[in-house]
Amino acid sequence: MGIADKLVLQRQRHLKWKALDPLECLLMMVGGALLFGFSLSVVCDIVTRIIGSPWLWLQEVTSTLFIYAIFIGAATATRRNDHLYLTAFAEAMHGKPRVIAELTIRVIVLGVAAALIYFGYLNFLRGFGSFRLPSNTPIASLYAAIPISGVLIFLFTVEQIVNGCRNGFDHPEFDNTPDSGVFGATRPDGTPQ
Amino acid sequence: MSAPVILTLMSACFLAFGYLGVPVPFALLGGVFIGATLADVSHASIVQKMFDGVDNEALLAIPFFLLVGELMSSANVVVRIVNLSMALAGHIRGGLSQVVTVFSMFFSEMSGSTTADVAVMSRALGGPMKKEGYEPPFIAAIIASASTIAALVPPSITAVVYGAVGNVSIAGLFMAGFVPGMMIGFGLMIYCYFFGPVGFRRPKPTFLGVATAAYQAALPLMIPVILLGGILTGWFTPTEAGVVAACWILFVIIPALNPKHIKNLPYDFCLAGLIFSLPLITIGAANAFGYLLAYLRGAIVISEFITSIAGTDPHLIMLLMVLLFTIVGDFIEPVPTIIIFMPLVNALTTAGHINPVHMGVVLIATLAFGLITPPYGLVLLMASKFVGVRFSQALRAALPIYAVFLITIVFIIFFPEVVLWIPKQVLPQSVGCFHNPSGAGFICPNG
Repeated sequence: MGIADKLVLQRQRHLKWKALDPLECLLMMVGGALLFGFSLSVVCDIVTRIIGSPWLWLQEVTSTLFIYAIFIGAATATRRNDHLYLTAFAEAMHGKPRVIAELTIRVIVLGVAAALIYFGYLNFLRGFGSFRLPSNTPIASLYAAIPISGVLIFLFTVEQIVNGCRNGFDHPEFDNTPDSGVFGATRPDGTPQ
Repeated sequence: MSAPVILTLMSACFLAFGYLGVPVPFALLGGVFIGATLADVSHASIVQKMFDGVDNEALLAIPFFLLVGELMSSANVVVRIVNLSMALAGHIRGGLSQVVTVFSMFFSEMSGSTTADVAVMSRALGGPMKKEGYEPPFIAAIIASASTIAALVPPSITAVVYGAVGNVSIAGLFMAGFVPGMMIGFGLMIYCYFFGPVGFRRPKPTFLGVATAAYQAALPLMIPVILLGGILTGWFTPTEAGVVAACWILFVIIPALNPKHIKNLPYDFCLAGLIFSLPLITIGAANAFGYLLAYLRGAIVISEFITSIAGTDPHLIMLLMVLLFTIVGDFIEPVPTIIIFMPLVNALTTAGHINPVHMGVVLIATLAFGLITPPYGLVLLMASKFVGVRFSQALRAALPIYAVFLITIVFIIFFPEVVLWIPKQVLPQSVGCFHNPSGAGFICPNG
């Protein structure tokens, strides 16, 4: 199995469109690249400081990559159902009550995503009036991560609603592993991390 | 609409959404947007507060600590630490249950994450414990309880969040967390010795056996040395120490101990890139929630209620705070709890003239306890799922273990000098000490 195949989670397949698998794979890769990027920039920050000629712009690079990694990761986790959950009463339900509960959950997520898109966009526009030092880049370059994340969350939630209505939310699931890993992610083969 | 009504509605919406099954960050934001609409607060400012919550340099430490845990786990390096733990504690009455606790004391100092600990321990030791005849509910209970040590000892992610949000020395919190962390660790070992299953006791290892196991685990065991050494010598910030530890794994441990794993590193990075974003987006959402809570004077109302009972008695204030956060921690995760209630914690710290590091350690220990209590004891839930046992059964097995946590919490409330002893010795400034202007040494508040 190649890395690209491993990066698309097969859990809750019935709620996913095949067409969006490459996007999930791409977002996972972008998340990994952003993590690698800001790890590298922190290393360079330490090294340049130790040798006595610090590159101040590295801190800007680090924070930019860090912020984008968080919001891209949040969107990816929506498709993979990897977010933190208090509990899921809905999963204990069956039939019509399950459909109503699952739809309610996703309508709430849609509402939040819409708010992130709209109000995030307003903040993005306001961000052209403030600048980051030392590069004088408009802070809007950071704020853009919020509406982008909102659009992706919206898209993945619509995907789940459409597929859930078509195939049902209450589906026999091969994956019975717990929310594993650090905060709920499981490996594609279902084993804990 | 009055502020208390809005606060109640906002909190009720968050809990209702969360318990229905809405992911925590969206449940928080859903509640906040409803609260902001009723309170006539700009929604754009809520989004801004969410952004501000994650735009904090100290939080950069979290991905690096999680990356360290992920790489250690996926490269299967932990087996060497399991072997060392086995050599050190496998012969003690309780057998593998003692090994679980000793392993957690080692691994917690590398991962900083309770949930990473519970996943690794379940995989590494859950199966062998079942084979040796331990009852699954007890396995889940001991693994979950031992994993809470990670919330206290360095590089605790909970401590990073507390320090970053509360403007408290993260290094000081790391140092002060040692006492409660070790108390829980040794308390669990004592519990397993006297009250746990006898287990399969291995022959007492020879000195050579222990030395060999220690030698084989030497490279991974350098990680806590790098983390603490870098921070204590002032060479690195916690964030930088995290990235140096990750480099140590990438460039030394994996090539030396498991070179075949190098080809899997891109996958590890992709997975870690996702995993770290989950607590951080929750931190952002919780920051927005905490902002509205503070705007509506919720923190002041609660702190005034507590100080009306406790006055300025620091012990009573902390006991009431522990009671409050034991209840809150039963429903919400530690990280969002800290962020949402930080204004309240700050108000109580000031009211009781409590050292902020001491307050932080007491709060973190309380929230760590909440990870194994119902209805939402996250790590106990995870452990019971991993081990394959009902949560209620695991909960019954965990009930007697609560005594270890309660004794630890009460001890650290009443003996701040013990908790703050290590930070006072190694990082006096972190607990409010300052250089003696007329001589050598430091002058510390309260002696």
